[in-house]
Amino acid sequence: MDEERGAPDLSVDLAPNNPRELHLKNPVIAASGCFGYGQEYAGVIDVQRLGAFVSKGITPRPRAGNPMPRLAETPAGMLNAIGLQNPGIRGFARKYPRLWEHWRVPAIVNISAESVEEFADMAAILDEQPGVAGIEVNVSCPNIARGGFCFGWDADMSAEVTRAVRAATTLPVIVKLSPGAVDIVSVARAVEDAGADAISLINTLVGMAIDIRQRRPVLGNLTGGLSGPAIKPVALRMVYQVAGSVRVPVIGIGGIASLADALEFFFAGASAIQIGTAIFVDPSLPLRLIDELADWMAREGARNLGEIVGAAQRSHGGRAPMPTLAEGTGG
Amino acid sequence: MTDASIDVDETGANPAHGPGASREFAGSVVALEPIMGDSVLLTVAAPPQIARETRAGRFFEILCRYEETFDPLLRRPYSAFAADPESGLLQFLVRPYGRGSAWLARRAFGDPLNILGPLGNTYRIASRAQNLLMVAGGVGVAPLVMLANEAVARGCNVVFLLGATTADALLAPQWLPGDVEYVVATDDGSKGRHGFITDLIPEYVRWADQVFACGPEPMYRSLRNVLMPLRVGGRPPVQVSMERAMACGLGACLGCMVETRRGLQTTCVQGPVFDMGDIVW
Repeated sequence: MDEERGAPDLSVDLAPNNPRELHLKNPVIAASGCFGYGQEYAGVIDVQRLGAFVSKGITPRPRAGNPMPRLAETPAGMLNAIGLQNPGIRGFARKYPRLWEHWRVPAIVNISAESVEEFADMAAILDEQPGVAGIEVNVSCPNIARGGFCFGWDADMSAEVTRAVRAATTLPVIVKLSPGAVDIVSVARAVEDAGADAISLINTLVGMAIDIRQRRPVLGNLTGGLSGPAIKPVALRMVYQVAGSVRVPVIGIGGIASLADALEFFFAGASAIQIGTAIFVDPSLPLRLIDELADWMAREGARNLGEIVGAAQRSHGGRAPMPTLAEGTGG
Repeated sequence: MTDASIDVDETGANPAHGPGASREFAGSVVALEPIMGDSVLLTVAAPPQIARETRAGRFFEILCRYEETFDPLLRRPYSAFAADPESGLLQFLVRPYGRGSAWLARRAFGDPLNILGPLGNTYRIASRAQNLLMVAGGVGVAPLVMLANEAVARGCNVVFLLGATTADALLAPQWLPGDVEYVVATDDGSKGRHGFITDLIPEYVRWADQVFACGPEPMYRSLRNVLMPLRVGGRPPVQVSMERAMACGLGACLGCMVETRRGLQTTCVQGPVFDMGDIVW
């Protein structure tokens, strides 16, 4: 590496509009549901070197989760139907913030609820916790008041949740979008207007596997969330669309398993990335990606992330309009 | 399942080992030999501390992936068949019945393996237990072979029951310590008792201080049916190794839960070995 120019700056602030900031020393984040509460991986990798990690999804009350089986492997991917097994916000608050308070890695808490009020209540509780650096709002859950229709599929409902969380906390708020949204760009714009500091996407895609010998669904829950390399092109398309349409930082998630994958997301407009399913297989991957990204940037002469984020957007001479869905399929 | 069945482990870490004890390492294939019909005994050279941390019941997650693909995506869990602290060699029993195991069974001498482990808890021999009954079904024999060796080294008496489909799928007796009483059953009657291995259990229940089992869930079902009416005051206690679809192996994904009287527990960290009486079947 050229010592005179120094190492490239990998740091990123994911909440530039928030006085509390969400400053990461590098843009590699362990994704919710794939990293437990951080400590599960503490014996395997140096967790403190990560840019940040996102906790398992927390709900207002304890949840036992779904019946077994909860996992099914699929081509280049996997289905999971864990069902948000977690100790509930109070059980969580008694234990983990205290643990994380002395960690150098920012801990982001992922929250899920079935009503707007519950989302706000959870955000208020987290606001007071010392070891919590930010909140990631999972809108991919059913809104009970609206007949179980998923919050994240609808721009207005996503915005309503975001506004309520925003009003309940000064912590940086990331809203994690669902790929099931009818129009992902309108949801992204709505949550940005409602006060989201950043947007992360995508959550898993709803899928299914059937055991042909037993002639029944593999998963106890019947359906599950598809993740892994199989979903990367879908995630990349949505990140490209959203990053080209909002001003807040975008965090890319979906099947990232190599530096090449990570670069695709940065070029599409992601300011940071989350690694999910790949951690299950390769726990040291996030740390290797940090090193490989630094080496790559040094080789390419990129001094900071700003020089590479959105490069593929700019190649179109600014914000070229995305084709409509029908045109996009080439059909 | 109800919310009341939730159990959040206070430490979150495996009580059996401290931080740093579970690690990724590069193994190297030393030998592959046929064993138990179409199965293969895989011998792997590993860093010496790995074998020292391996006890009967613990397992390893092995990456079994075709080159330059994501196929299969997830690692495959294998219980240790043997672990030699002197040489650092680990052994695994591989039955090629899926894409991952077929890949693993076709490795060659010198091939590298990406392995995570040792993971999970162990079978636990009680300090005063003298007579141990081991009940294995098919390739479930692997951790019990290791346990039989540990038990004999402690001076315990071991009766080892193994059930298989046919005679050629049985484990040859030389793989067990010499002073183990080895009794077999086959589904087709080609060797030993004709029928289920669990049919043999009544003969040994009063003799056994502890029972250890590893096999498919239907075997555990028949084990319970045979054992429960014969047990007196919960004796002898039974430990079983559970199998679940698994992703992380580290207690993070919560994909491999077992419902127990103490709440939901992870197979990968709090298991794979459970007291049969603790499991809500």
